Amino acid sequence: MKKSLYILLGICCLFLLVFVNNNYNFYKETIVKITAVKLIKEETATDYYGNKDILYTQLLTGKILNGTLKSKSIELRNQYSYSGAADNQYKKGDALFISLDDNTKATLTGTIKGLKRDSYIVLMAVLFTVFIIAVGKKKGLFSLLSLTFNVILFSLVMDLYLRGINLLLVCSIVVIVFTVFSLILVGGYNQKTFTAIISTLSGTFLTLIIAYIVMKLTNEKGVRYEEMQFLTHPPHEIFMAEILVGCLGAVMDVCITISSSIYELCEKKPDISRKALMDSGMEIGKDIMGTMTNVLFFAYVSGAIPMLLVYLKNGFQTGYSFNMNLSLELIRALTGSIGIVLAIPLSLYTSVFMQHRHLKKREQVS
Amino acid sequence: MNVIIILAVILFILMKLIGKEKGTKSFLSLLLNFLIIFVAIILIAHNLNSIVITILACILISYVSLFYINGKHPKTTAAFLSTLITLAVLFFFIYFIGYAARIQGFSEEEFEEISLYSLYIGTNFTKIVISTIIMGLIGAIIDTAISISSSMNEVYIHNPSITRRKLFESGLNISRDILGTTTNTLYFAFVGGYMALILWLKDLHYSFSTIINSKVFCSEIISILCSSLGVTLIIPITAGITSYILLARKPPSADNDIKSEITDKAGL
Repeated sequence: MKKSLYILLGICCLFLLVFVNNNYNFYKETIVKITAVKLIKEETATDYYGNKDILYTQLLTGKILNGTLKSKSIELRNQYSYSGAADNQYKKGDALFISLDDNTKATLTGTIKGLKRDSYIVLMAVLFTVFIIAVGKKKGLFSLLSLTFNVILFSLVMDLYLRGINLLLVCSIVVIVFTVFSLILVGGYNQKTFTAIISTLSGTFLTLIIAYIVMKLTNEKGVRYEEMQFLTHPPHEIFMAEILVGCLGAVMDVCITISSSIYELCEKKPDISRKALMDSGMEIGKDIMGTMTNVLFFAYVSGAIPMLLVYLKNGFQTGYSFNMNLSLELIRALTGSIGIVLAIPLSLYTSVFMQHRHLKKREQVS
Repeated sequence: MNVIIILAVILFILMKLIGKEKGTKSFLSLLLNFLIIFVAIILIAHNLNSIVITILACILISYVSLFYINGKHPKTTAAFLSTLITLAVLFFFIYFIGYAARIQGFSEEEFEEISLYSLYIGTNFTKIVISTIIMGLIGAIIDTAISISSSMNEVYIHNPSITRRKLFESGLNISRDILGTTTNTLYFAFVGGYMALILWLKDLHYSFSTIINSKVFCSEIISILCSSLGVTLIIPITAGITSYILLARKPPSADNDIKSEITDKAGL
C-alpha cells in the first residue's frame, strides 16, 4: 500500500517533467526555441553615478514550436546588460515566449516577451518532493501537503479580500483553522495537540496585539510603506495580516517543540515535580530561542538585498537606503521574534498546567 | 519613537526575562548578524565579488550563531561543519538554477517603480540572486543543524555505548519532527512576506500560465524551495557528521563529561 503510493508519486513526477518540456501546444503564445546566438554589439556605459556597465545586443535565431507557423525559423534581437537587473541574456536551447511582428520580409521577426520558466519550476518542485520524502518519509509528505495548502488557502483569502471582506478577519479565521487542522493531522487527536493549539493561537494573537499597539502608539513612525507602493489597496491592513501570518509558523514551531518535550519528560518520569518540569522546559526554550529568531531574521532581510544595492549604487546615503528598504522586513522579523519568545512561557505554562490537571484527575480516580 | 526601536526594545526585554543570560546572548547575536549582513551589503556595493563576500559572511554568521550562543562543544562543532558542507552542496545547486531560470533582478511588473533609478550599475544580479537565496536560508539550516546535533548529543549521553549506526538512525528519527516544524516556519514566513505579491498578481488578472512563467513568481517559489531543500539536505549530513564526531572522541569517561560541562557553562 505504502510502496504503491510512492511509486505512483514517482510516476507523477516523471510525467510532469516530460510534460513540462513538451507542452508547447498548450500555450496560446508563440514559443521559440533558440538554435543559434550571435553577439552583434558590445558597448560600455557609464551612468550618472559613475557605475560602469556593459551593454550587449545579441541576434538570436530560433525555430517556432507551436501555432500556425510551427517549425518556421525566426530572428530575434535582444539587448542585455552585464548587471542584468531588468534584462536577460539568452542562450542556445532556451525556450522564449514571443509576439510576432508584422512580417513582410523574407525572414520572420518578433519581440521577446519572456523566458519559458515552467520547466525550471517543475524541476525544482520534483527535486524538492523527492528529497523531502526520501529524508522525511511520512513527515516529509505532511510538510509538502502543508506547503500546498498554505499557497491555496492564502490565494483564496486574497480572493475574499478582493470581494470586500475584512482581510484581518479572514486571515484570523484561516490561521485558527489551519492551526487546528495541521496540528491534529501531525500530532493526532489528544491532549498534547490540544495544548499546542491553545498556546500557538494565544501566542500568535498576543504578538499581533503587541504589534498593533506599538504601531498605534507611535503613529507608525518609521514604517516605510513605499515598498508596497505598487498596491492599489491600503498597505496598513495588508501589512498587519502579513505580520499575523508570518509569525504563525514560528510560534507553532516553538509550541510543538516545548509541548512535545514536556509530555515526553512526563512519560519517561511520571513522578517528576512541577518545578523540575518547568526548569527543564525553560532550558529547552532558551536553547531554541537564539537560532529560531535567526531563521526569521534571515528569511526576511535577505529579500531586500537587490533593491538595497540599487539604492546604494544610485548615490543614496547608506542610512536612508537601509531605512527605506529594510523597515518592513525588520518589523516582520522583530514581531516574529517577539512571538517566538512569548510562545516559550505560554506553551510551557499551558502544558504543565494541563499535565498537572490530568495527573490530579487520575489520582482521584484511583 | 520609531516602531523598529520600540519593537527591538520589547524583544530584548522579553529575551532577557525569559532567557536570562542566554537570552541576552541571543539578542546580541541577532545584532551581530545584522551587522555582518550590513557590512556584506556595503562591500558588495563597492564592487567586491558578491559570491566571495556571501560565503565569508555565511561562515561568520554560522560561527557567531553557533559558538557564541552554545559554546564550544563537539555538538556545536558538528553543527558548524554540517552547515558549511550543506552550504557548499547547495551553492552549486543554487548557482545552476539561478543561472538557468534567469530570476535575477526585477520583473517587468516592477519596472514602473524602479524606472526612477539607474539600473546599469555594474553589479552582476545573477550572482546577487545566489547571495539572496543563500542569505535567506542560512538561519534555517543553522537552526536545524544545532537542533539535530544537540538532540543526538542527549541520546549519546544517556546511552554512551550506542553504535555509530544506531546513533545515526536515531538522529534521522529525531530530525523528522524538526523537518516538519522548520519547513512550516519557513512557509509561513515566506507566505506572510508575499501576501502583497499574491494580491498584486490577482490585481493584474494574470492567467495561470503567465504566473508560472513570470520572473516575480518564479523567483519567490525558487527561494522557498531552495530554503526547504537546504533544511532537508542538512538532516542526513548533520546526522552523519554528529555520529562520527561524537563517537570519534575517546571512550567517554566521567571526567570527560564534566570537562565539557565546565566549558559549556563558561560559554567558551
